[in-house]
Amino acid sequence: MTRNIPSPEVAPVHDSPRRVTRRRVGLAATATGLLVALAGCARNAPQDTFQPAGENARSIDNLQRPVFYIAGVIGILVFAAVGYIVWRFKDRGQELPIQGHGKPILEIGPIVLSAALLLGIGVPTVATVFKLAKTSDTQCVVIVTGQQWWWEYTYPVQPGCAAGGIKQPIVTSGQLVVPAKTHVLAEIQSNDVIHSYWIPKLNGKRDAVPGRTHTLRLEADQPGIYSGQCTEFCGLSHARMRMQVAALDQAHFDTWVTNQTAPYQKPTDPAAITGEATFQANCSRCHQVDGMADSAGKPIISQPELYVVSGSAPNLSHLMSRNTFAGAVWDLLTPACRDKVWHAKPEEFSELYLQGVSRECLNEKDLRDWIRDAPAKKPMYSSDAQIASNNGLSRGMPNLKLKDDQISQIIDYLVTRK
Amino acid sequence: MAIIERPSTTPAVAGSAPSFVGPADAYGAFRRPVTSRGWRSWVFTVDHKKLGIMYGVVAFCFFLVGGLEALLIRTQLAAPDNTVLSAGTYNQMFTMHATTMIFLFVMPMVSGFANYMVPLQIGARDVAFPRLNAFGFWCFLVGGIFLNTSWFLGGAADGGWFMYQPNASHLFSPSHGVDYWALGVQITGIASLTGAINLIVTIINMRAPGMTMWKMPIFTWMVLVVQFLLVFSLPVITVALFLLTFSRVFGGQFFNVQAGADPLLWQHLFWIFGHPEVYILILPSFGIVSEVLPVFSRKPLFGYKFVAFSGAAIGFVGFGVWAHHMFASGLGPLSVAVFSVGTMMIAIPTGVKIINWTLTMWGGKLRFTTAMLFAIGLVIEFTIGGLSGVTHAVSPSDTQQTDTYYIVAHFHYVLFGGAIFGLFAGFYYWWPKIFGKLLNERIGKWNFWLMVIGMNLTFGPMHMIGLQGQPRRMVVWPQNLTGDGLFNLGFWNKVATVGSYILGLGVLTFVWNVTRTHLLRKGEVAPLDPWDARTLEWMTSNPPKEHNFDAIPTVHEVDEFFHRKYEEVETDHGVRLVKTRSAEEILADQEAHADAHIHMPSPSYWPVVLAVGLVIVAYGVIYSVLLAVVGALITLGASFAWALEPSTADPSDFDPPAGTPGKELANV
Repeated sequence: MTRNIPSPEVAPVHDSPRRVTRRRVGLAATATGLLVALAGCARNAPQDTFQPAGENARSIDNLQRPVFYIAGVIGILVFAAVGYIVWRFKDRGQELPIQGHGKPILEIGPIVLSAALLLGIGVPTVATVFKLAKTSDTQCVVIVTGQQWWWEYTYPVQPGCAAGGIKQPIVTSGQLVVPAKTHVLAEIQSNDVIHSYWIPKLNGKRDAVPGRTHTLRLEADQPGIYSGQCTEFCGLSHARMRMQVAALDQAHFDTWVTNQTAPYQKPTDPAAITGEATFQANCSRCHQVDGMADSAGKPIISQPELYVVSGSAPNLSHLMSRNTFAGAVWDLLTPACRDKVWHAKPEEFSELYLQGVSRECLNEKDLRDWIRDAPAKKPMYSSDAQIASNNGLSRGMPNLKLKDDQISQIIDYLVTRK
Repeated sequence: MAIIERPSTTPAVAGSAPSFVGPADAYGAFRRPVTSRGWRSWVFTVDHKKLGIMYGVVAFCFFLVGGLEALLIRTQLAAPDNTVLSAGTYNQMFTMHATTMIFLFVMPMVSGFANYMVPLQIGARDVAFPRLNAFGFWCFLVGGIFLNTSWFLGGAADGGWFMYQPNASHLFSPSHGVDYWALGVQITGIASLTGAINLIVTIINMRAPGMTMWKMPIFTWMVLVVQFLLVFSLPVITVALFLLTFSRVFGGQFFNVQAGADPLLWQHLFWIFGHPEVYILILPSFGIVSEVLPVFSRKPLFGYKFVAFSGAAIGFVGFGVWAHHMFASGLGPLSVAVFSVGTMMIAIPTGVKIINWTLTMWGGKLRFTTAMLFAIGLVIEFTIGGLSGVTHAVSPSDTQQTDTYYIVAHFHYVLFGGAIFGLFAGFYYWWPKIFGKLLNERIGKWNFWLMVIGMNLTFGPMHMIGLQGQPRRMVVWPQNLTGDGLFNLGFWNKVATVGSYILGLGVLTFVWNVTRTHLLRKGEVAPLDPWDARTLEWMTSNPPKEHNFDAIPTVHEVDEFFHRKYEEVETDHGVRLVKTRSAEEILADQEAHADAHIHMPSPSYWPVVLAVGLVIVAYGVIYSVLLAVVGALITLGASFAWALEPSTADPSDFDPPAGTPGKELANV
C-alpha cells in the first residue's frame, strides 16, 4: 500500500478510498445488523424496560418509544449523510474547493428545527413527570426500607389494601406482595446507605436515601411476579440485593393478609420443636418471629440494633410464604416448583403463590449453605475481625459456625413458617 | 544549548525598584538550573512543549492501566456468576477504571495537547506562567501515582467514582481507599486548576499580533472554553473533597443523617462539578476534529463562529443540568421537569457541531488519513452517544435507564467514541509536529478499524443489555435474568467481552506503531508540512525549536498558514485555488527575519519539589500527622524558594552570551 502522505507541492495521493468506502458500508451494515438483532434478542427478559406491566411503566413506555424512534431516524439520517459525503467527496484529484466559511441559514435552520423537535419531546415529558408524581389516588401504602443488602416491607395499619383494611402491621422482606390492579404507594426509606428500588415492568426507579422518604407508585395490571434489583451502588454485595413484586388478585391478597396477621403457630412435629429451640438459641437475637415465646412463655423480641449496623434483620415469621431469600437472590423453591409458580398464567398465579414453600419443593441446598456460612455465599462485613473493628456491629449476617445437625433442625423449624 | 530568559535591564515601572531579581541579589538558595540535556532538562523544565510531551506520555501510561482494569471487568462479566474478581476487588476495579480514565488519562492528555499546541497555535513562545505549568504536571504525576499506590496499601477506593455518601463514609468503606481517592483527586485537581488559569491568561494575552479572538484556531477556542469550565467547576469538587476527607479522617458530620445532614448535598456538589466535567472531557476533542476535518477536507471549518459559539453554549448550559444525574434520587417533579428541559437544550448546540462537521466535509476533497478516519469516527460514534443522551433527558425514561448498562453504553459512546477518538485523531495529526516523525499510516488504519470494531462490539450491545434490565456496578449477573433465546443478555455480555479484547488489541496496535516509529527507528522523517495544514503550529519546524517561532507571525486570517500558501486566482474557468508558496519558503522567510530579542523562561527546581511536598502531606493525612507536618514544611519551603529564586539564570549560563543579537539564537 502506498503511503498516504502527500508532499505539500504535489496534489495529494489518496489511499484507495474505494476500499475505505467499502469498509464504511460494511460498518453501516454491521450497525444495521445490530439494530435488527435488537428487535429479536433476549425474549422475555424479566427486567425488560420496554415490556410494561402496569400503568406507570406504561406511561413511561408511551413516552420513550417515540423518542427512541425519532432518535433512531435522526441517527440513520446522519449516518447516511456522512456515508454519502465520504463516497461523493473523496479525493479523486478534483479541484481544491473554494474556501467558503458557511451559510448562516444552514446553521439557523437546523437550530430552529431541533428546538421545535425538542419542544415536541419536552412537553409530554413534563406532563409525564407530574403524572408519575401523583399520590392522591393511592389505595394502599407500603413502607419499603433498604439496607445492606435486602429490602424490608412494612404494611402500616390502614383502611385500604385488603378487604376490611390492614388491622395490624405486617413486616416482610424480599418479595413485596401487593394486590393487582391497585394503586400501591411505596414509601421508600433507607437504614444505612443509598439504595434504589426498581421493578422495571411496574415503574422507573426511586432512590432510598437515609433520612428521607421518597414515594414510588406501583401498580400491576395482572397477578404475577415482577423482578427488580437494587440499582444504586450500595457497597460490597450490591449485586446480590434483589427484589420481586408478587401481585395477587384481591381475594388472594386478602387471604395473604389474614395469614400474615394470624397468631403464632407452635410447631407440632418433634424435629421442628427441636428446631424452634435451636432457632431461639442462635437466630432470634436478630431475626424476629412474631409471637414466638421462650420456655417460660415470655415473648422473644429480637434486637438486631445491637448486632447489625442497619439495625434490622429480615423478619422470618412467614419465611416460607415467600419463595426467595437472602436479598431475594436465592430461590426457596426447587427449579421445577419455581417454574410452576413464576411462569404461571395470571389467573392461576395467586393460588400457586399462596401455597408457599412445601418440604418437597424446598431448595434445601442453598438454604443450608446460607445458614452454614452466609458471608461465603454473599460477601458481607461480618467476620470477627470486621465486627470487632466496628464497635461490635456487623454489616450483613455473620458465619454462625453452626453444626450440620443444628442447621437441619433450623431448616426443619423454618419450613413450618408459612 | 539552552535558550534562557534574559533579564531586562530596565525597570518595568520607571522610578520604582527593578521588577526582576537577578542571580546576584536573589534570596533563593539555588541558582536556576540550566542543563539542556539528560533527565534534569526534563525534570526541571518549564518548556510548554516538554511538559506537553510528559503529560502525554504519563497520561497514556495511565490509559493502559485503566484499560487493563476495563479488561478485567469485562472478563469477570463474560459469564454468569463468574468468579474472576471478588466483589470487593470488582468494586475497586470499576471505581479506579473511571477515576483513571477521567482524571489520569483524558484530562491530562488534553492538558498535554493544550500545553503543546495552544502556544504554537496562537503564535506565542510559551505559556504565561511557565513554572506554574510545570507545577501542574508534577501535581498530576504524583497525584496519579499516589492514587494507584492504594492498590498495594490496603486496597483502592471502592465507592464508585461518584463516591456517594454515606456509602463512601468511613463506616461503610473502612479501608483507606476512599481517603487515597479524595486526596489523590484533590492533588490532580490542582494540576487542572493551575493549568486552567495559565491557559486562560495565555490565550487572552499572548496571541500573535493580528490574531483576534475570531481568528483563533478552533482547538484553542475549545481549550479556552474548557479552561473556564475548569475554573468554575473544580472549586466545587475541591470543597466536596475536603468535606469528604474531613468527614472520613477527622470525624466531620457533613453528610451524616444522624447529625442532621442530608447525603444529597454530596450528590449536588459532586454533579455540579461532574456534569461540566463531561464537557471538559469532550470539548477539546471537538476542537481537535474541528482542526482535522478541515485540513483533510481541504476546506475551512464550516460555520467557524457557530462552532466556537456552540462550544461556549454547551459549556454554559452544562452548568445548569447537573441534576439529570439525580432523576431517580427523589428531587421532586418540578426540579426534575426543569432539569429535563434544560438537558434537552444541550442537544441543540451539540447538533450544531455535528451539522457543521458534516458540512465541512461537503464539497471538500477528502483524504482518508488515519487522523481523518478517527475524526469521521468521532462524528459517527458521538452522534450515537448524543442521541442516546437525548433519551436520558426524557426523565421518566431515564428513571428506567439510569444505573443500567444503557448509561454505560451512552457515556462510552460519548467518551470513547467522542473524547478518545478525538485524542487519537490528535495523535496521528500532530505526531509529526511533536516528534518530527510520521506514524505509519498502514498500521494506523489497523489501529483505527480495530478500535472502531472493538468499541462498537463492546459498547453497542450494552444498549440492549441495559434496556433489558441489567444494572451496572454488578460483580455478577445471574442467568435467570437474561431472558430466552440465543440472543439473550448472556450472549450480548459475551459479545461485549470479546469486543473489549478487540478494542485492547486496537490500542496495542497504536503502541506498536509508536514503538516501531521511535524505538525501532523505522518511522519516516516528517516533511515540514505533511498534511497541507492550515494553522500556525505548522508554520515552524518539526519538532518546533525551543522558542517556537524565529519571528512571531502577524495574523490576517482564520487559517493563517493556509492563506500564506494558497491564493485565489481568476482563470478562464472561474476562481481557482493555487499554491503560491511552500511551507519551506515561508519558514525560510521567517528565519531570515528572526526576532532580535527572544525571551524564554528559565527552568526551575521548585515546581517538582512543591508537588512532592503535597503528596507527602497526603500520605501524612492518612497515616501520620508527623509525616503531614514534614510534607507541609517541604511545601512551604518550596513555595518560598519558588518566590525568592532568581527570575533568571546566571548571565554566564546564557547561550549565546548577553549582548549578541537574537539571530544566532534562532539558529540553535
